[in-house]
Amino acid sequence: MTKLMNRDVHRTAVSLLAGVALTLAPNMPAWAQADDLIIALSTFSEETMTPWSGSGQRKTYLDVVYEYLTYAEPGTLRTMPGLAESWEMSPDGKEWTFHLRPGVQFSGGYGEMTSADVAYSIERLIRDDSRAGPSSPMRRLISSVETPDDYTVVVKLNFPDFELARGYFGAAQQLGIVSKKHFDALGEADAETTPIGTGAYELGSISPGSEIVMTMRDDVADHWRVQPEFENIVFKVVPEESTRVAMLLTGEADIAPIGFDSIPTVREAGLTVVSAEATWSPVVRFGGLVETSENRYNADNPWAKREVRQALNYAVDKQLIIDELFHGEATVASSDTPVPAWSGVQPYPYDPERARELLKEAGYEDGFDITIKTFTTAPGAELPLMAEAVALFWQDIGVNATIEPVDWPSLRSDWTEGRANDYVWTHRGFPFSSAANGLEAGFMAASVFAAYSTPELETMINDFSNEQDLAEREAKFTAIGQHLRDEAAAVFIALANEPYGISDKVGEWKITTAYMWNFDQVTRAE
Amino acid sequence: MFRIAAIRAIEALIALLLMSIVIFLLSRVTGDPVALLLGDGATEADKIKLTQDLGLDQPIIAQYLTFLSNALAGDFGRSVTAGNQPALHLIMARLPASLSLAGVALAFTMVVGILFGVIAAVRHNSIIDFAARLIALIGQSVPSFWLGIVLMYVFAVQLGWLPTSGYGQWQHYVLPAATLGLFTLAAITRLVRSSMLEALGSEYIKLARVKGLSERVVIWKHALVNSLIPVVTFMGTFFAVMITGAVIVETVFSWPGIGRLAYESILARDFPVVQAVVLVITSLFIIANLLVDILYVVIDPRMRSRG
Repeated sequence: MTKLMNRDVHRTAVSLLAGVALTLAPNMPAWAQADDLIIALSTFSEETMTPWSGSGQRKTYLDVVYEYLTYAEPGTLRTMPGLAESWEMSPDGKEWTFHLRPGVQFSGGYGEMTSADVAYSIERLIRDDSRAGPSSPMRRLISSVETPDDYTVVVKLNFPDFELARGYFGAAQQLGIVSKKHFDALGEADAETTPIGTGAYELGSISPGSEIVMTMRDDVADHWRVQPEFENIVFKVVPEESTRVAMLLTGEADIAPIGFDSIPTVREAGLTVVSAEATWSPVVRFGGLVETSENRYNADNPWAKREVRQALNYAVDKQLIIDELFHGEATVASSDTPVPAWSGVQPYPYDPERARELLKEAGYEDGFDITIKTFTTAPGAELPLMAEAVALFWQDIGVNATIEPVDWPSLRSDWTEGRANDYVWTHRGFPFSSAANGLEAGFMAASVFAAYSTPELETMINDFSNEQDLAEREAKFTAIGQHLRDEAAAVFIALANEPYGISDKVGEWKITTAYMWNFDQVTRAE
Repeated sequence: MFRIAAIRAIEALIALLLMSIVIFLLSRVTGDPVALLLGDGATEADKIKLTQDLGLDQPIIAQYLTFLSNALAGDFGRSVTAGNQPALHLIMARLPASLSLAGVALAFTMVVGILFGVIAAVRHNSIIDFAARLIALIGQSVPSFWLGIVLMYVFAVQLGWLPTSGYGQWQHYVLPAATLGLFTLAAITRLVRSSMLEALGSEYIKLARVKGLSERVVIWKHALVNSLIPVVTFMGTFFAVMITGAVIVETVFSWPGIGRLAYESILARDFPVVQAVVLVITSLFIIANLLVDILYVVIDPRMRSRG
């Protein structure tokens, strides 16, 4: 009886296993997409398709469809013609004239790009309901857009902007040019789901929350800017970093952002790692330092004194943090954002003795308690570990830090509501698309995202913004960088790279700090 | 029967109402989406305007009542981040992925769990029984994010049998369904094993054997069918675990389901989507349990006579 039972059980188990084995028998993997360029991203952000309907994170997939009036030259970062062949600025910086490239065609049969399309794109981007990152300052800046002929756009400003062409109108920002005819024909709701641009690709398909396929245009041979080598670019959203690494190892992804800890794994597998240099800057920001704000200043904080902020900078061995956490893929920072003009500003050296002296001068020789709030983000998975390292260095000079993990949305809400006044937090700075834009957003009290501002600094920034002489502007800008460093506006840690794993399928992909979304220029390996 | 169904329906509505209040209040505890939607250089005036545009300047009671009245009319609001799309539309686009994964995982756990449970009971205290219990212990102890990554590295990276992640082809189901199902597999194995042990020692099984029925019929027809009643009872809970527990699995395997949508919406403080997705999950939970109640009546004659 038992034998019979056993036989039945065995038979069932063997049948099941055989079925599984047959099902899993290796043959040509059905999931392989050998001819496509597959890019695994950590997020699609809002997963919307117009320049104004979400954040700049969507540029990863939108920039193969939309193009910009100007581009930055890789290496030199010089402003290069894009959809605008040339441009002029009035001497007072309040009027810009852009001369458009003739003959540039929209996809989908929507015809030649003209000044009407550019004017529509600008006006739509700055409309009240725009969700684009720079829409608010651009709305304050732009007074009117005129189109004297099909290939000329005149932009009048409310106040001077000497960097409009490479700033808000450059490829690093969100002014992708859309087809007005497309929106007129379909209406906004429908047109928003079918992006039409002048780029070399058009939308192939979307699988919500999974992948976006961009397909090469039929008329790409005549494209003015690029001659892509991949028929399809498939963007996949893969939030988990270890999954992105696994995809690189199996050939399921060709380009993927990876963490610093994964660099050795990817290299050991014989794959390439390409780093966009100094694309973000891990820092520790101080709360309650916006002096001219009613609700974002707290004079009672120990770090309201400059000497204390300087001490907290001297106390941290930033090179050690870079070596251990960032695997050497960073340099010690003297500012909270990567700015080439500030490269001459010297960082605070690691000098705990000097830190103790400064604390004593400030009346805090016995130290004090401080709370560090921290969170993870992409890039920025290392921020909580960085907070722990900073806390240990501060403990060495008598400053007792309590680390409080939070989520970024809560902290961002505290920050803009004036509730982040009695603690410090780890954060990340990004490159400015133009100096004036960055200073306005980060250091002017009018911006809800200012973390440090003083009357003296605001005067310096205003002087810089109104300066018409280019050499003087450069000097004033550098002086602002030195001032921020000397005042220790934050604990500047590092200018960090952003590593990407690259598969064997990829030949060349040139990325720079200023622009990392040129997936239409990726070449196929020979 | 009708009375039971009516009582269940009223209970379901009360549960949904209570859940709507809880999720409405909880989602607002840690801030709002305004700070996330404001771009660099935004001013206080921009912040106030955006708050008004989103209706977040209204008292919270007024916000809730507006939400409730709209929800009763089938309008769960529009996403504040995903291009102003209707929240329900976003969920419906993701729901097939979640339901299909939960279905496959549940089917996998039912088949394998019952098989393991029967084997363990039939070969009581043998090595196979010990192995089945060990698998059950591991299944209930191992965190799904770790298990998912391990399975991915073994079956996708090392063996190359399966894709690491993604959605669309049948191969994509195997690893996430196995990861999602292992916890439930352990529970079903234990449940079937103990039920089968009890059944195999009962008088009616002895009678079946005395009557000369084959062991196959005794085990798979008489003993197993009666042992499945407690498994069916728990199926609703298992299904709900598959849906709600899929957040981590969906993240690890890049599965575009509503679990990940809920997680991403919470991070973005996208209140309309968070509210809608929680209510949809609650509804699924309720429907699954309702179906189990009905199924229970169908398979157990004693329940019919009580009804």
